Amino acid sequence: MREIQLQLSQTQKVRLQKALEHLESLSSKVNSDASVTIADSIPVNHEDGVLKGHGTADLEGEVVATLCGVVERVNKLVYVRTLRSRYKPEVGDIVIGRVIEVAQKRWRLDINYSQNAYLMLSAMNMPDGVQRRRTALDELNMRCIFEEADVICAEVRGFQQDGLHLQARSQKYGKLSTGQLITVTPYLVKRQKQHFHHLEQYGIDLIIGCNGFIWVGEHVEVRDDMVEDQVSQSDPQVLIPNKNSVSLEEQEKNYTALETRKHICRAANAVRVLSTLGFIITLEIIKGVIDLSLSMNLDIHDMLGSEFCVLVAEKEAERRSSNKKKR
Amino acid sequence: MEMDRPDGRSPNQLRPLACSRSVLHRAHGSATWAQGETKVLAAVYGPKAGTKKNENPEKASIEIIWKPNTGHIGQADREYEMILKKTFESICIRTIYPNTTTSIVVQVVHDDGALLPCAINAACAALVDAGIPLRHLAVAICCSVTDNNCIILDPSKQEEEKAKAFAYLVFPNTTVSVVPEKSLQAGSDPMAHGIITSVTHGAMSERGRATTQRLSEFLRKNMEPKSTREASKAG
Repeated sequence: MREIQLQLSQTQKVRLQKALEHLESLSSKVNSDASVTIADSIPVNHEDGVLKGHGTADLEGEVVATLCGVVERVNKLVYVRTLRSRYKPEVGDIVIGRVIEVAQKRWRLDINYSQNAYLMLSAMNMPDGVQRRRTALDELNMRCIFEEADVICAEVRGFQQDGLHLQARSQKYGKLSTGQLITVTPYLVKRQKQHFHHLEQYGIDLIIGCNGFIWVGEHVEVRDDMVEDQVSQSDPQVLIPNKNSVSLEEQEKNYTALETRKHICRAANAVRVLSTLGFIITLEIIKGVIDLSLSMNLDIHDMLGSEFCVLVAEKEAERRSSNKKKR
Repeated sequence: MEMDRPDGRSPNQLRPLACSRSVLHRAHGSATWAQGETKVLAAVYGPKAGTKKNENPEKASIEIIWKPNTGHIGQADREYEMILKKTFESICIRTIYPNTTTSIVVQVVHDDGALLPCAINAACAALVDAGIPLRHLAVAICCSVTDNNCIILDPSKQEEEKAKAFAYLVFPNTTVSVVPEKSLQAGSDPMAHGIITSVTHGAMSERGRATTQRLSEFLRKNMEPKSTREASKAG
């Protein structure tokens, strides 16, 4: 999560400062009242039974915070939410991880959490799409499916006895290739309805993982499993993709066009700029940044310069104030 | 009794404080704390699964690793590790994550007197940065008694060497203002060097407690604005 070091000139610093102050003034006032540090007592109505959640403790009848953060209230539940904390996985989160180790019947992935996550061999679809029992041969051929340092998209299944388990039981999960992985701080990614986005005009796929890993890559057509089964009749036992003999024709098929690669780089730089500025990453804001850079005919590497960052901050301040006026 | 300190401070004056958090990217929490020239960097990793053999598995255990700025780890460093361990065991809420280990790595960047209090403050700030629930914050200062029986706070290395005795005091920081009537709880571990009579001990603790108010205000001020600013900026 290294941030871009911005060399700002004096005027740029002033402009950036103004834009950020504008953003802070726009945010609702409730937030500033609710921030609390350790051992501050939380104002709570004692007549209603109050449920003390995470980050609170009971000290002589007073509800006291044990973490630094913002107080959140949901009906009777009072809890303290930390801001710059580590990613906390919940069941059903879409995460992107990198394979660290190929172990017995499972892969170990790094998902930017305090422990490593496991993806069991049985929690994945076989490459041929057939539902069957995993045999010893499958276990020996695990390396042909995912190897060390591969980037994988999966869903959090839950916490089992030995750790965090993931599953990849759909065609949209699985190995990601031809693209870039960008790390941002996890609190910049909020849980939303859709994490898989397809930008048609650029032909790229955008996957925003809840753990702060964002994937920008070439668009891959998601094939439906059911249709595949009827069409393919290959023998399940013999399906070992042969990586060594990649013929010239296959290489040509796998070639990504220069335009698509440029769009991938542009989108990746947009995400990097947003993470430096500390804005929440959503599809609209990424699209806005890409459009801004294209309208200015900016070179892709100029997007990481200080001038563009200041412009993005100003534009975001304008956008939020216009949103607020509409409401 | 008026006292001339080499750097021109009054007996109750602390050296300039500086604290920054989230300095290391890979650690779960990190902080640097500087008092004048003394600077300490602390990093927190955890909670990780499993405890050591002798530790109680029903509670979270805390492991301290002290790294001196030069030389190999010696007996003095092991002593510091033990003291820090006892201090933080009383601060952290150990029943929340049973059977886990939280590691605190303390690296001495520069030693110019009052090293242990500086390390305690740095480690406390790092624990807050990591989001580990704490019962209260810990603030520590060093008081020393000079040759002419004068009590001075926050001595530099020169003053420490010339002093007759010095003590490190750690206070729990429960409410926003440190209440003077509150008695020292188990959280405060005075570590004393030299000859300290009961009289000087009483005077030291009072002086120390009053000064920790300033320290604790500084600590809290350091933690608040950053979080609110980031929350509103992120939208």
